Amino acid sequence: MNKLWSKQIRAVIRLEMKKTFFAKRGLWIYLLALAPVGLFFAHTLVEIHFRGVRHEMSQKTTRPLTEQDFSSIHDGMTRDDVVKLLGEPPVSRTGARRVRTGPHSFDQNSFESMRYSDGRTELIVNLEKGAVVGIGMSTGASLGQDTYIFAGVFQFFFLRLAIFFGCLGIFMNLFRGEMLDKSLHFYLLAPVRREVLLVGKYLAALLAATVIFTTSVALQLIALLSLYGSNIIANYLYQDHGWSQVIAYLGITILACVGYGSIFLAAGLFFRNPIIPAAFVLIWEAANPVLPSLLKQFSVIYYLRSLCPVDIPVDPGMPPLLALLISNAEPISAYVAVFGLLAVSVAILAGSMRRVRSLEINYTTE
Amino acid sequence: MSNQIVFDNVSKFYGDVLGVNRVNLSIPPGITSLVGPNGSGKTTLMNLMTGLIRPSRGHIRILDMSPDQPEELFRVVGYCSQFDALPKGLSGYEFIYSYLKLFGHDAEACDELAWRAIDLVGLREAAHRKAAAYSKGMRQRIRLAQSLAHNPRVLILDEPLNGLDPLVRAETIALFRSLAKQGRHVLLSSHVLHEVDIISDQVILMSGGYVIAEGNIQGVRSEIDDQPMQILIRCNRPSDLASRVFKEDHVVEVRVHNDRRGLLVKTSNPDRFYLLMNKVALDGINIESVAPVDDDVNSVYEYLIGTEEVTR
Amino acid sequence: MAVYKRSYRGYAGTLTPAWSRFLVLYRFARRTQSRSKVQTVFFVLCFFFPLLCLLGIYANSHLSAFAFLGRRAGPFLEIDGSFFLVYLSVQSALSFILTAFIGPGLVSPDLANGALTLYLCRPLSRTEYVLGKLSVLVITLSWITWVPGLVLFFVQGSLSGWQWMSDNLWLANAILWGSFVWILLLAMLSLALSAWVKWRIAAGALLLATFFVGAGFAQAVNAVLRTQQGYLLDISRLVSIIWQNLLRQQSHQPLPVPEAWIAVLILYALCLFLLMRKVKAAEVIR
Repeated sequence: MNKLWSKQIRAVIRLEMKKTFFAKRGLWIYLLALAPVGLFFAHTLVEIHFRGVRHEMSQKTTRPLTEQDFSSIHDGMTRDDVVKLLGEPPVSRTGARRVRTGPHSFDQNSFESMRYSDGRTELIVNLEKGAVVGIGMSTGASLGQDTYIFAGVFQFFFLRLAIFFGCLGIFMNLFRGEMLDKSLHFYLLAPVRREVLLVGKYLAALLAATVIFTTSVALQLIALLSLYGSNIIANYLYQDHGWSQVIAYLGITILACVGYGSIFLAAGLFFRNPIIPAAFVLIWEAANPVLPSLLKQFSVIYYLRSLCPVDIPVDPGMPPLLALLISNAEPISAYVAVFGLLAVSVAILAGSMRRVRSLEINYTTE
Repeated sequence: MSNQIVFDNVSKFYGDVLGVNRVNLSIPPGITSLVGPNGSGKTTLMNLMTGLIRPSRGHIRILDMSPDQPEELFRVVGYCSQFDALPKGLSGYEFIYSYLKLFGHDAEACDELAWRAIDLVGLREAAHRKAAAYSKGMRQRIRLAQSLAHNPRVLILDEPLNGLDPLVRAETIALFRSLAKQGRHVLLSSHVLHEVDIISDQVILMSGGYVIAEGNIQGVRSEIDDQPMQILIRCNRPSDLASRVFKEDHVVEVRVHNDRRGLLVKTSNPDRFYLLMNKVALDGINIESVAPVDDDVNSVYEYLIGTEEVTR
Repeated sequence: MAVYKRSYRGYAGTLTPAWSRFLVLYRFARRTQSRSKVQTVFFVLCFFFPLLCLLGIYANSHLSAFAFLGRRAGPFLEIDGSFFLVYLSVQSALSFILTAFIGPGLVSPDLANGALTLYLCRPLSRTEYVLGKLSVLVITLSWITWVPGLVLFFVQGSLSGWQWMSDNLWLANAILWGSFVWILLLAMLSLALSAWVKWRIAAGALLLATFFVGAGFAQAVNAVLRTQQGYLLDISRLVSIIWQNLLRQQSHQPLPVPEAWIAVLILYALCLFLLMRKVKAAEVIR
């Protein structure tokens, strides 16, 4: 029997791959997965460009500048004070700005933006009417900083939005989509146990989702690391637990697909319009930090957050809502997280199996 | 194993809407046609048989198997439904091959069975084209092929001749006959009553979710007492024959045929009438043929279901 | 004879004006929507906040009536741009939810079930079809956005006098055009997505994704590229910038207003392009 079931599961996977993988209607899922890849490649290109610009600027100053020189500039200084300390700016932009002073009155203010660089750090001094009104300093990208940015993008965007909506699109259509296509009955008229059919469809969708999203994570990391030299990369991977972080991110991606996949497969089976439970899950996941401890456990993000290898530091200037989403006040151990998530997913799939057993085909009411 | 399809007091309600009610049937091998107006419950009955929907009451057994056991049932049952949709992204061949793989067969066996089924319906040239690009008739044929591919003992076909051209219709009908001759069950629904007449061994008439009549069509006709049997007699002296038969009390109506070479008689007792014909033939009237005119599906349909519709 | 009953004659009575025929689609869609209890209840609930605002405006002008509460006799509400900004923000959120109910089911079922062929084989062009479907959302969402907004404006005007109204006529303009920007965006986006995926449910998911994922990705772009241009992908943010400009709110904006307008116009053009590509009577499959 097991041999037959495994043959049938393989046949279902094969069928699903033919029907849904690379289908045009799934294009938006690929775009969703590849968007952050494009973003990190753009980051690399932009950073390379700005490295060149900073280097050029540092060559044009009257004397080599240091961070200490930059720290000596403060608000209220005049233009002449700045030039006395740092010299003429290698890059300067001037103009005039219209400012509303009343319901029907405006004023014309002159402004200047001066830029200096020591080759690594860039100083931007904004002047209005000849006085310094704002100072900005930006250093070039560092791997440490980039790993935090990657962690932030991964936790905040990739897990909660990209994988969420990607899995929604892939798993919700396993049964509900076939009902709308009026092709589900072909499966139900085959000598396959309905539970085996469900497992086959789930595994097919899981395979598709994990391939798409783990490839995306891998490409994102490649894009991020391509900015740095081989020494830095080797140091990160072998000394700074880089490999364990990479494996952690890939593992979290797979677990997210497992968890969200089971939820959306069930939503497609139990609800005629699965968007309503999907919207509820989105809100539930977002509200997870403020839920009571017991209810928190009925969430995919609760388990995944504890598995993230990099804790994002909470910036004092960060909006409170974002800080709430990022912080993890009650972390759980990796074993509890993995097995907890798997247990929740298996329980949901078991419920789905009961539902599929009693599923009826009535296309005319769809 | 029993060789019957059995419905035991089966009812199906969609909320307040009646699908079928108190259906008791025992369908033997051969070609059985389900006949009835739209909404009479034919598709519901077929969906119940195949487990696509569950009965609200009653039990169904197909060759001693329940529709709740798909893993056993669908090895011997093939269903070609009325739904005109096909899975997206597959060619005709892939459609049949991929679903055959669900049976657990190896690739070679699936390939052989798939091509055999495709040849049965004459779609070899179009087999590798995307099924979504098929015409209506081709879609019908490929779905028929898919239901036949695994060599089922029971074939359930919902309006299988829809969209087929006359040549293909004739070939398909011949296919059904050959399958029935092998002792299989072929259960089909159709609105084309003269074809049902030609191919069916038995008929199930449905209306409003109820089974109105079932069995051999002549047997059903003979049980409709309130409709006198119409018989056409071809003879050389219709007027003389008319005066002769009109004396009989069981003869309700006599009309000379338009071509004036026959007589249309309505009788409430066909057996006595046939005996009478024997005597009349001996009396010198040259009788060429005596044939019932209204013991076909069309007439039975009109008598049983046509009157039901009027009564409603 | 080939023609059944020679007495047949074509319709020779008066015809409705050709320009208004697309509204037939609106009428039938409304009938379908009104059958949904959930949608009807939600539609009614959308008037709750405007009603609250109306009561606030009235109370603001009749403070003497509340003297018994011991409150000081000064207005507690400033009926200006910030008031209507809050109003527009709340009603825009409700209109998004209403669009998520109505929008996905407008075009995708017609495409999936082959009904588009039936529409387009009548004297109805593709443009009229799209206009008809758009009108369903535009008219429905108008009822809960600029219509009550203008009512609030005129009530305030009638209570404060002609001088207030003439000084603040720009508010009425801002409410009208601000609402239209949002309504048109929602309508075109939901129709375009509905036409693209042909599944009502997938269209709903895409509509949700466009707003939430767009906003999330905008933050990601800003964080990674250390810029503010990421907000070009955040549709809600773009419209908020436009509203704040129309309602003359001074808060710091991450993007210049012309950029926001251009981004919104590009979005309109993209949606129109997608609709024109997908709304066709026949589809060729090779």
